Amino acid sequence: MNETWRRTLALGVAFVLALAGTYIFASRASRRARQIDTATEPIHAWMSIPFIAHTYHVPAAVLFQAIGVPPLKPRDRRSVRRIARELNRPVPELISQLQRAIDTAAQPQGGPPR
Amino acid sequence: MNDQLLAAVTQYGPAALFGIVTIAAIGAPLPITLLLIVVGSMVSQGAMNLWWALGVASAGSILGDQAGYAIGRWGGTAAVTRLSRLFGKQTSLQAMEAKAKAWGGAGIFVTRWLIGPLGPWINLASGTAGYPWRRFLFWDSLGEVTGAVVFISLGRFFSDRVMALYAVLGDVTWAIAALLAAVILGIQLLPRLRRAR
Repeated sequence: MNETWRRTLALGVAFVLALAGTYIFASRASRRARQIDTATEPIHAWMSIPFIAHTYHVPAAVLFQAIGVPPLKPRDRRSVRRIARELNRPVPELISQLQRAIDTAAQPQGGPPR
Repeated sequence: MNDQLLAAVTQYGPAALFGIVTIAAIGAPLPITLLLIVVGSMVSQGAMNLWWALGVASAGSILGDQAGYAIGRWGGTAAVTRLSRLFGKQTSLQAMEAKAKAWGGAGIFVTRWLIGPLGPWINLASGTAGYPWRRFLFWDSLGEVTGAVVFISLGRFFSDRVMALYAVLGDVTWAIAALLAAVILGIQLLPRLRRAR
């Protein structure tokens, strides 16, 4: 096989790979876009309590109460990481507490379904 | 690090946003798309003013891009190499210069927002290649304002789906990059195949 053919073959392989990449990423984007309303949003340490409250449609006061922190006035935009540091508690523990409060708030009035 | 930057923006608002987008435009690999989506969500929550957010994000990015262009234009090859090393990337400047020349204004425009990671290198290359500053400023401003409007608006619209939206946009960016690569490779491949017949 001469050099020209080798280069053409390499270009061909790269072309097919690029097309495959386009298909894979485009189909994944399309699948994710269809699921955007139902996808679970994880709580991250950079998020503030009002930000989490907005994401999960739960009053911020409920979340502040759940972690036992009185919110600063007028707007408490401290991140979960900063609150955890100030309380001297691990971030994952605070996130689990917030998640439990969100789950409880999401349950219908009268307790969990039987 | 990314967590801390995002936390800074949610807590300190426009001042933090300005600083971060400026540093990112100079060349630091920071998650600017996610940052702008988060800002859009904050606008939707009433935590930041829309016009402030758009103005600050655009102005910071344009300032950083101009700094990159100036380093390329007047800093010389040594400064460009130092900057590349500082941000942990070793990109072939000649290759980027060739891209900057071939793509011109359209290249500057799309690398502001659609293929963001290439932006800082196109700034440097535009400077070293001596691309006219006024034209660079025009396409740069147009691209950065477009990027700020697109991503902040998306963040506003999907304000309670920030991470899911970011995942979708990540895939879209990769799909566009792969498609671009396929087009470029196809253009190179076609004449070879014709000659072979």
